[in-house]
This record gives sequence, structure tokens and C-alpha cells, in this order.
Amino acid sequence: MSEVLTRIDPMPAEPFAGRGVSVRQAPPMARFSLRARQAADLEKLLGVSVPQKIGTMQTGVMCLGPDEWLMLAPHGTKIADGAGLSLAVTEVSDRNVAILLEGPRAASVLAAGCALDFDKFDVGRATRTIFETVEIIIVREAAERFHVEVWRSFAPWLWTAFVTVAAE
Amino acid sequence: MILIHCPYCDEKRAELEFAYAGQAHIARPLDPSTLSDEEWETYLFIRNNPRGRHHERWRHIHGCGRFFNAVRDTVTDKFETTYKAGEPRK
Ligand SMILES: [Zn+2]
Repeated sequence: MSEVLTRIDPMPAEPFAGRGVSVRQAPPMARFSLRARQAADLEKLLGVSVPQKIGTMQTGVMCLGPDEWLMLAPHGTKIADGAGLSLAVTEVSDRNVAILLEGPRAASVLAAGCALDFDKFDVGRATRTIFETVEIIIVREAAERFHVEVWRSFAPWLWTAFVTVAAE
Repeated sequence: MILIHCPYCDEKRAELEFAYAGQAHIARPLDPSTLSDEEWETYLFIRNNPRGRHHERWRHIHGCGRFFNAVRDTVTDKFETTYKAGEPRK
């Protein structure tokens, strides 16, 4: 009577080729939510300097708020739990999935549902924001490439929205 | 769309990213058990309702996540200023 549990992907595995933009699922990766009052404590834990200006990213670590960072790392990466330091490390690898938008129309796909000014959103910036009613994190990896983090359960809706705009 | 300046992000962002969180500068009683019923009622429920300048808490909920304070005109809906939580009333 037993059945094997199957993992259901929230998005199609196949990329979608839209007009001037491709939409695809990012491969699985490790994600850590990092909370600390002092960035120095985090730097002790990670051994690298972390950005302190909200909305910026360096070496895979983005500063989301005054005491909050999100780290993206290759799938399977583990980091220390920070015992003894004044910080909190929470692995959230499977909480989010990411959608990659690439092509000359990538910014305009995002602008269809997000009020940020993408003409002034430099490469290397990373920020939490909202697309229609769904909270997302946008990272501009290159002029024409965006990495969009979204909670797993919202991903089917976001995928459909991106694909709809990309096809227009 | 109204743009609101977040004092933590230090930039103007769309109103959609923010949530209103009631009147600002309401100090929590240090020793609630010594308050009379009237004082407790005032603390919990009695709020200003001005026509004009109003001190409010807002939260950049879909951004940096932080609560901050704002002075907003309730007639024009214009934000006069925003400042970090803990800073003196403006
Ligand atoms: Zn903010």
C-alpha cells in the first residue's frame, strides 16, 4: 500500500522562451537567513565581509534590512550555526525557489508588476519588494539578467505571470 | 502612486511596500499593574484623530522589514517627513 513520495516542482523544468526574454527555474541552491545586530559578528562567522548598505549584495550575501541578510550558496553548502556569537542562522534553502529572467526585455517583465525604477537599479543591487501582491527578492546579476527569489508556494503564480508578460 | 521615504533603506519606495501601524510615540506603561482602568483604557484605545498633521508608525514590510515613524497630513495624504524608530518626535 505504500507509495513513494514524489517531489512536485512548483514550476515547469523547461525554460520558457518569450519575446526578447527567457524565463527559467534556477537550479537548487543553499539559502541562509542571517540575523545579527552587528555585521562584524556575521563576518566572524562567514570569514568574508558582508554588505552593510541595505539593497546591496557581495559574495552571495545580500543585505535586506538593518539586521537581516540572505546568503545564496551552491547546493549542499553548510555553514556553522554561530554558537557563541550574537546572531541567528536559519537554513531556508527549500523555502524559496528562484526564477531567472534573461534578455533585453527582462527589466520590462519585472516592471509589469513591480514599481521599482529599473533604469536606476544597478547591477549588483538586491532588494525585497513586491510584484503585484507577491513578495519577492530581486537581484540584478547583469544588465539583462535578474534572479528573482520567491516563496515556493507563490512560485506557480509568479511563473504564470512572468510567462504571460514574456509572451506579449 | 505615493512614494514613501524609508529612513532605513534611505530611498523612496512605492506605498505598496508599506503597511500602516497606528499612531506613533505611544509609550508602553512601565508598570501596567499600577494603572487605573481609565489610564489603561487610554493607553490601549484612545487615539488622536487630527485633521492635518499626524504622527504615525509605518512598516516597510515588503522591503527592509523595519518599523519607523512618519508625519503625514491626513487631509492631503502627503508625508512631511519620516524618521527612524527611537528618534525624537518631529
Ligand atoms: Zn526600508
